[in-house]
Amino acid sequence: MTSAARILLVDDEVPIQRAVAPLLRSRGYEVEVAGTGQDALKIVAAHPPDLIVLDLGLPDIEGTEVCRRVRESSSLPIIILSARGREADKVAALDLGADDYVTKPFGPEELLARIRVWLRRILSEARVESGRVAIADLIIDYDRRRVLRGSEEIRLTPKEFELLAFMARNPDRVMTHRAILKAVWGPNAVDQPEHLWVLVAQLRKKIEVDPAVPRYLISEPWVGYRLATEIPSGTE
Amino acid sequence: MTRDGIHLTAALGAIAVVTAIYAGWLHVTNATTVAMTFLLVVLVAAATSRLFVAVAASLAAMLSLNFFFLPPVGTLSIADPENWAALVAFLAVSLVASNLSSVARARANEATARRDEVARLFDLSRDVLLMTESRDALPLLARFIARRFDLEFVAVCRRHGETWEIGEGGSVSIPLETSQLALALANAEQALEFDAGNRTYVGHRTMIVGEREVRIVPLRLGTKPIGVLAAAGRPVDPGSLDALGGVVAIAIERTQFLEERKAAELARQSEELKSALLASLGHDLRTPLTAIRVAASNLQASWLGDADRQEQSDIVLTEVERLTRLFEDILDMARIDAGAVSTEPHWVHPSQIVDVAREPLEHTLKGHHIDTVVRDDTLIRLDPRLTAAALAHLLENAARYSPEGSPITVTTHMADGELILAVRDRGPGIAPDDLPRLFERFYRGKQSRTVSGTGMGLSIARGLLAVERGRIWAENCRDGGAQFTIAVPVERREAASAGVPADAQPA
Repeated sequence: MTSAARILLVDDEVPIQRAVAPLLRSRGYEVEVAGTGQDALKIVAAHPPDLIVLDLGLPDIEGTEVCRRVRESSSLPIIILSARGREADKVAALDLGADDYVTKPFGPEELLARIRVWLRRILSEARVESGRVAIADLIIDYDRRRVLRGSEEIRLTPKEFELLAFMARNPDRVMTHRAILKAVWGPNAVDQPEHLWVLVAQLRKKIEVDPAVPRYLISEPWVGYRLATEIPSGTE
Repeated sequence: MTRDGIHLTAALGAIAVVTAIYAGWLHVTNATTVAMTFLLVVLVAAATSRLFVAVAASLAAMLSLNFFFLPPVGTLSIADPENWAALVAFLAVSLVASNLSSVARARANEATARRDEVARLFDLSRDVLLMTESRDALPLLARFIARRFDLEFVAVCRRHGETWEIGEGGSVSIPLETSQLALALANAEQALEFDAGNRTYVGHRTMIVGEREVRIVPLRLGTKPIGVLAAAGRPVDPGSLDALGGVVAIAIERTQFLEERKAAELARQSEELKSALLASLGHDLRTPLTAIRVAASNLQASWLGDADRQEQSDIVLTEVERLTRLFEDILDMARIDAGAVSTEPHWVHPSQIVDVAREPLEHTLKGHHIDTVVRDDTLIRLDPRLTAAALAHLLENAARYSPEGSPITVTTHMADGELILAVRDRGPGIAPDDLPRLFERFYRGKQSRTVSGTGMGLSIARGLLAVERGRIWAENCRDGGAQFTIAVPVERREAASAGVPADAQPA
């Protein structure tokens, strides 16, 4: 990508638009602002941006609906702006194809970091389903169904491997409990999150340096899990 | 002379007159004619008066018949034995007839009395059904009964644990001993027998207080006594008293039920209010907080030009203002709910109220031109703080719901001892569906989701004005836009003639 990334900011609150748009522009992004879901969909149809920052509480159509309609035609990253205590909306948006979320009130760095991750992701999108994938210092070998840290193999059960492989296929992306359960256990298991809790605990014991402070498999409270590709080095 | 005395005199007089006419004037000698006439007098007496009058008339008629008309005339002796039989027959017929007539009359009287009591009970039930207030229910009931049954004294008594709640009605007050009431209630609790003759259940008692006879009747709801009714004055049929007790018991139960329902309704409303408050606060706190956080960190950044810096600091100031008002609103709402708003009237000029109202809205009103038209140049006495706060909500509303740059007109004038403040905007007006609910707490117009707001402003304005006995209403203007009007009762004095009183300056 040679030109600056184009970001579409969708929020009906003028103060948020007026504070966030200059922030993004200051980091070299090209910013377009939409106050309603309809406007946002029009802009996406006419000239798709590289990334959408989408508020869920829009005056005309629900943010989740905007999310769904964008996904019908495009896979561009969508970062949700949501309110704490509206986990259900957040999960619904993620299930409908949103990639990430930031909870209001958010700090500028939080939003910028998420945007960076997702823009980098679309640059290196050419990802293969087979072969080897490196997640930080873990190497996942799909062909041989093995996981290595350096040259040392980490022995995983088939379910643990499936979970890690699924998360690695969607790196840095919040996967809802439902989505993971469906992918690893099948559609009948979506209402049995206890399977997932147990499996995540087992997997963390094997891949995390300190299972009590996970660095790869991060919990997103009430929503799901995320596989972090960047291991934070002390400070953010 | 009593009524019975008059009747008796009249009956005996009629016998004497008939005797005089027949014996002295017409010289009638046929005893049958005389006897039939006497019988007529006796029947009239029986139909109009009491039995003893008719009996006395019968005896007098018999004596007169014997003395004046049956031979030998002039003596009480009778020569012909046939005449003896006639005389005895006459007496018997007149006694039986007067008895029959008297019984029929008593029945008719009783029926009338019952009909009267039933009518009173009916009227009372109607009174009772119109009662909606549970407060003071007992004295109200007592007054209704005293009025409908023409009783001198009525007390409706309920026991709450050891204490008695007594509601009195009627023209006199009789101190009731609670131990007696408790005894009557305990008695009624023990037995439930129906006395078919009196049409009553057991438990009726009579108490003598001073010189008055007070009748005590249990109030029964179904079979369970819930209190007692005490009545004194006009005698009331025990059956009616019993029925009365039933009506009163139902009335008490009904008011209690109404009260409970009201309490439940209030609890439900308060729950709804709480969740509405949380939902609206969630959004209305988060947006300004986010904007302030991002704008403040933008202000720290080096990339900011002067124009940008100005804009970002504007955001911070406006959003802080918004948060402050939100905080004030919540506080005001809590104060209104707690009844903690009091008025502090001062002498002020109406234009001061408009100025005070505009002050905290500096940023909100920036995009609008405010025209202030003050029609009366008078000093008025009212609470400027409350009135200005209410007006501020109207101004804020007008600014939010009308297009940026459109003018807002504030007019003040006096009418009928009230200060009228009208705020007129050039916005889209109010949807007819929204008009009736506009001042309800947390109510947001159907079309107004695009405008941020909590739905608290107008209800707070109304709450504040209510403390001042003021009113508020909204209407759509014929040539577009909405107008909100406040009317507050005030004292006034002409500014020019009175001069400015010492406390007319804004605090």
